[in-house]
Amino acid sequence: MNVWLQCWSGYVRLTQRWPALAAIVPFIPVVALWTAVTEAGVFPRAFLPGPLDVVKSFATLTYKGILPDYLQDSLIRLFAGAALGMALGIPLGILIGTSRWAHRICWPILLFFQAIGDIAWLPILLIWFGFGLTTMTFVIVYTVLFPVVLNTVLGVESVPRDLARAARSLGASPARVLWEVTLPGALPNIITGLRNGLGYGWRALIAVEIIVGTSGIGFMMFDARRAGSTTEILLGMIILGLLWYIVDAWILAPLERATGQRWGLVTS
Amino acid sequence: MFVAPLLALVAVWAVVVPLFQINPRVFPSVGAVGTAALESIRDGTLIAHVGASLLRVGLGTLIGIVTAVPLGIAMGVSAGVAAFLTPLFRFFSVLAGIAWIPIATLWFGYGFGAIVFVIFNAVFFVVAYNTLLGVKTIPHTVRNAAASLGAGRWALLTEVLLPGALPNIVTGIRTGLGFAWRGLIAAEMIATNVGLGYMLFVARDFYRTEVIVFGMIVIGVLWLLIDRLVLVPLERSTIERWGMVRRA
Amino acid sequence: MKTLSLRNLAKTYFDPYAGAHVTAVHDVSLDVQQGEFVSVVGPSGCGKTTILNMIAGFIPYSGGEILLDGKPVVGPGPERGVVFQSFALFPWKTVLDNVGFGPKMRGVPKAERDRIAREYLALAGLSHAANRYPNELSGGMQQRVGVVRALANNPAVLLMDEPFASVDAQTRMTLQEELTRIWQERRPTVVFITHDVAEAVFLANRVVVLSKGRILDQVDVDLRRPRVWDDLVNDDEFKRLSARVLQMVRAA
Repeated sequence: MNVWLQCWSGYVRLTQRWPALAAIVPFIPVVALWTAVTEAGVFPRAFLPGPLDVVKSFATLTYKGILPDYLQDSLIRLFAGAALGMALGIPLGILIGTSRWAHRICWPILLFFQAIGDIAWLPILLIWFGFGLTTMTFVIVYTVLFPVVLNTVLGVESVPRDLARAARSLGASPARVLWEVTLPGALPNIITGLRNGLGYGWRALIAVEIIVGTSGIGFMMFDARRAGSTTEILLGMIILGLLWYIVDAWILAPLERATGQRWGLVTS
Repeated sequence: MFVAPLLALVAVWAVVVPLFQINPRVFPSVGAVGTAALESIRDGTLIAHVGASLLRVGLGTLIGIVTAVPLGIAMGVSAGVAAFLTPLFRFFSVLAGIAWIPIATLWFGYGFGAIVFVIFNAVFFVVAYNTLLGVKTIPHTVRNAAASLGAGRWALLTEVLLPGALPNIVTGIRTGLGFAWRGLIAAEMIATNVGLGYMLFVARDFYRTEVIVFGMIVIGVLWLLIDRLVLVPLERSTIERWGMVRRA
Repeated sequence: MKTLSLRNLAKTYFDPYAGAHVTAVHDVSLDVQQGEFVSVVGPSGCGKTTILNMIAGFIPYSGGEILLDGKPVVGPGPERGVVFQSFALFPWKTVLDNVGFGPKMRGVPKAERDRIAREYLALAGLSHAANRYPNELSGGMQQRVGVVRALANNPAVLLMDEPFASVDAQTRMTLQEELTRIWQERRPTVVFITHDVAEAVFLANRVVVLSKGRILDQVDVDLRRPRVWDDLVNDDEFKRLSARVLQMVRAA
């Protein structure tokens, strides 16, 4: 009883000091279970390789330089797409959020094109642009765009009208109101939109790399699929999960919290 | 009111394509898409593709929800267990869907099993994670209230934890289904010979843009129908009626 | 005839952040008679809510015992109704279903429990709100639902944890008057936790003053009933008792 309490107390205090630990420790039993299952030979190796195989393949691929190259390709595609998506999405969202006419005209069109979904564009994009960076970027921009626009609109509409009125009566011009009031007020939602958009964009990237692929993590996984190498597929999945986990849990979520909670606005 | 801007868009399309004499290999005219639509309806291919896609989504989603909700609630019962497991589910919900396509096709072969598996786990991890979050958001006093009014374990589950987590569960289903729908289209492009994704991808081989555009419209309309007729009303009837805070 | 008795009740708990045991309640002994209204008053952190949570069975106690009609208390149970500061209504149930929840848990058929719920809603003047959801009601009305929900279960003792602390001042006075009226009609046994001295004296037959996890003193209140604020604000006995309790609380 007391030993357990001490252990738990130790764990709580450790994770209090290093929050990253709380995100790592729960994976220990999972990896242990995985090792046990593969060591016990429940499935054939070709079907489910063990953690050690994956680590070895990680070392080999890193040494050969394939993995860093592919990773770099994927990340550049993702961030270029996300940046472009935001550059288009935020102004569009502000326009739709502030103008009733723009809202009426664009909203149904936005919903419809969002419903088509990124990946369904792939066949026609391949006809238009062929297998290349343009196609991939288009898909990712498309994926990131809609969550950003829709959330920016929500954000702009959620800014209390009295705030804009207060700013106007304090002498701000309409343009200043946009910059000083509307944009900061909508920021928490914009970041939520970015977070959702990147989440979708990440998946779209994998799909595109699998289908279109010439390089990137998704391509690596599907290439491994063709060669029947489960080890490299698993390695790819783990890298994808880890990367996104880091980006989401350590960058995007804190950013969302920093704006939303700091200002006491309800977002998440 | 909702349809008017879309009709205007179709009108623009009808004018622009003949006006600039756009190559049908680049973008089809309205008429060509209409013909392709009628043709695929007449020869039954549309029904076959839509039916195959919907069956996969329906089955995968159903299995996903049925397994994820009880698991999520069971995990959420203890705050310590929930806190411990949250990172795990976060990790797996990040991977949900498309990233499983390569290994799913290796495990199940190309075809029905692999695709249903991809959809299942797109829904499963997101719904389980959201259910867990939902149970965590139920105030402790509400659980205590139920217990002090004589609720046993089972009643606590059905009367408090399940309805309390429902708004999050519905949000999770909506998100998960969004991932699943995309995963479906992607998987069908790779791993099958029937379904909407396959229909689009094969049309590409023959530069049949009218079939591609028609397929995209079908995909869009289907998703809008699922989202607006099922998911949104479901969200509204729980979250708005009960006045519970909607989580983004 | 005593209903509830606490014998040398104590609570220590383990604080994982400090890595040590902390004592919240030392050696509290208290008897509550059937049909008595006892207020427990004390500054925040004095352990009053911890005691109530132990009686309710939400948290285990580490020393002594709690007896209800001679039987030791284990875990939450319908014989001890609880009214929460945060109302703790089920947002997904209508007012009627909230009040009918206790009877439902006892297996009372739908028609019968609706009848019971309507009877109790009428007692609190809430008949018109039966089919509303809690979030559609004001704070004062929500807490009326909270009170009758606990009463509809016919508990042997009603535990109230600062139930009126989160409603506005005017509503609070109305609720206090309504509570004394309902108490006179039904004569439930009540343990009422509060930090508001005037509220404690206004409602109770007996006020227990708590400090740092111990009972400091007890004061009997023999004011005549029905009690209404218009009479009592100028009542010398009320003023004298309130002043005395206040002095003890502030000295605590």
